[in-house]
Amino acid sequence: MTEDQRIDTVSSTHDAGAQPSIEHAASSAAEQSSSSVPTIEMRHVDKHFGDLHVLRDINLRVEKGEVLVVIGPSGSGKSTLIRTINRLETIDSGEILLEGKTLPLEGKELAALRSEVGMVFQSFNLFAHKTILENVTMGPIQVLGMPKKEAEEKAMELLKRVGVAEQAAKVPAQLSGGQQQRVAIARSLAMNPKAMLFDEPTSALDPEMINEVLEVMVELAQGGMTMIVVTHEMNFARRVANRVIFMADGQIVEEDTPANFFDNPKTDRARDFLDSIKGH
Amino acid sequence: MGIGELISTYGEIYLQSLMKTWGMTLISFCLAMIIALVITVMRVSPMRPLRMAGDLYVQIFRNIPGVSLLVIVVYALPYLQLTLPYETCALVTITLVVSAFASENLMTGINTIGVGQIEAARSVGLSFGQILRHVVIPQALRSVVLPMTNLLIGTLLTTALASQVPLNPPELTGMVNYVNSRSVGGIGAFFISALGYAGTSVIIGLIGNRLDQRVRILR
Ligand SMILES: Nc1ncnc2c1ncn2[C@@H]1O[C@H](COP(=O)(O)OP(=O)(O)OP(=O)(O)O)[C@@H](O)[C@H]1O
Ligand SMILES: [Mg+2]
Repeated sequence: MTEDQRIDTVSSTHDAGAQPSIEHAASSAAEQSSSSVPTIEMRHVDKHFGDLHVLRDINLRVEKGEVLVVIGPSGSGKSTLIRTINRLETIDSGEILLEGKTLPLEGKELAALRSEVGMVFQSFNLFAHKTILENVTMGPIQVLGMPKKEAEEKAMELLKRVGVAEQAAKVPAQLSGGQQQRVAIARSLAMNPKAMLFDEPTSALDPEMINEVLEVMVELAQGGMTMIVVTHEMNFARRVANRVIFMADGQIVEEDTPANFFDNPKTDRARDFLDSIKGH
Repeated sequence: MGIGELISTYGEIYLQSLMKTWGMTLISFCLAMIIALVITVMRVSPMRPLRMAGDLYVQIFRNIPGVSLLVIVVYALPYLQLTLPYETCALVTITLVVSAFASENLMTGINTIGVGQIEAARSVGLSFGQILRHVVIPQALRSVVLPMTNLLIGTLLTTALASQVPLNPPELTGMVNYVNSRSVGGIGAFFISALGYAGTSVIIGLIGNRLDQRVRILR
């Protein structure tokens, strides 16, 4: 997609999909037309792990600047869903498109595509032998061919933005979980991704560290980043999500605005699930 | 013959033998590390034939006694129109055996790296080769300093294999045979060579420990 097309997309009129309400911080970013090319699109995606049917006919559009929250019981296929988007998992059938282009199968193009979609994992996954700074510069230097000095300047800026600039010379094991996860976000951002995927980014964190990570994610959302977030943090979803999808048994069972979904779930399954997580 | 007498008579050849043992250890260990790196990359590659070839290599050379392998190298290679000097035969044998064990060490090192780090590297857009070079191999190497130290000591001791072929000067064990064939050195001659092996091993062990402390990855 060229720069002009992108500007086009942003200025075109908004309609259904994400009904922005006043409380939606990201509402301005969701000025989309459903006729424009979505940033991420999944069409009739199916996937099995052996006999287990983990994704069943998944259809999904995520517009530029949209924040989508994925919620659902353990084993429902949430991780698998977002992992297929940067092809950490293959699919059996269907199609996944990024800005209208089908995912390449392998090789250089696949690596290039992966660098355009950031991924943040539950377990941070920082490179244990590298300093915080090196964790952030590795992608830009190795994949984008950026000169080291420029990469370091940019990395320091990003580390400052996520609030861990003072830790730049340390190694991951010297940081708290919350700090590590913020570094992981900076590492993804360093690649200038078109979209970011988050797989339960706060569920491995001690309670007092959850907010510092969520704050960074809220800022990202408000800055217009296209995001798919697997999370059970309802407050986060209410604050920044344009849409919530509820998954069960590999299917998208429900899809709605956060307010509608959390206050008036349509299906019994969603209601039971919400009761179970509210109970904690 | 007492030890003092042994040393005064054979001191110089003893020193030469120690040098020979050290040299053979160094050469075969360095070659083995390079080969092990290649074999290990094959064993983790996405291509099945390469993986199988790498595994086969390790199974063969890890599971044949060094002496048998030496006999094969010395007596079988000439049938392939390849006649190597005895010392080269010994070096080849030691290198093959040690590289198989070194590859096993590296595989253990690779297995200590969480699959998550590799997925993170993939999602940043690094290629398979870049992931190996920048994420997997540096961490694998740093986590196997102690096993590799043991293997270096093992290499040192394995050079005794070369006492089975005529070398000039002989390595330590060959030297003992030589001394004992000329005079009644008895246990004393063995004692001197044992001292050479043990002294070297202790030093290698100390250096290995220091190195491990320095490069160990915090987790
Ligand atoms: N590599 C794999 N091989 C086989 N089965 C797998 C694999 N990964 C996931 N599964 C199975 O696929 C199903 C969906 O898994 P997935 O991780 O996508 O669920 P999830 O919704 O993310 O669950 P959780 O909330 O526990 O993270 C589960 O039943 C899981 O056991
Ligand atoms: Mg999951």
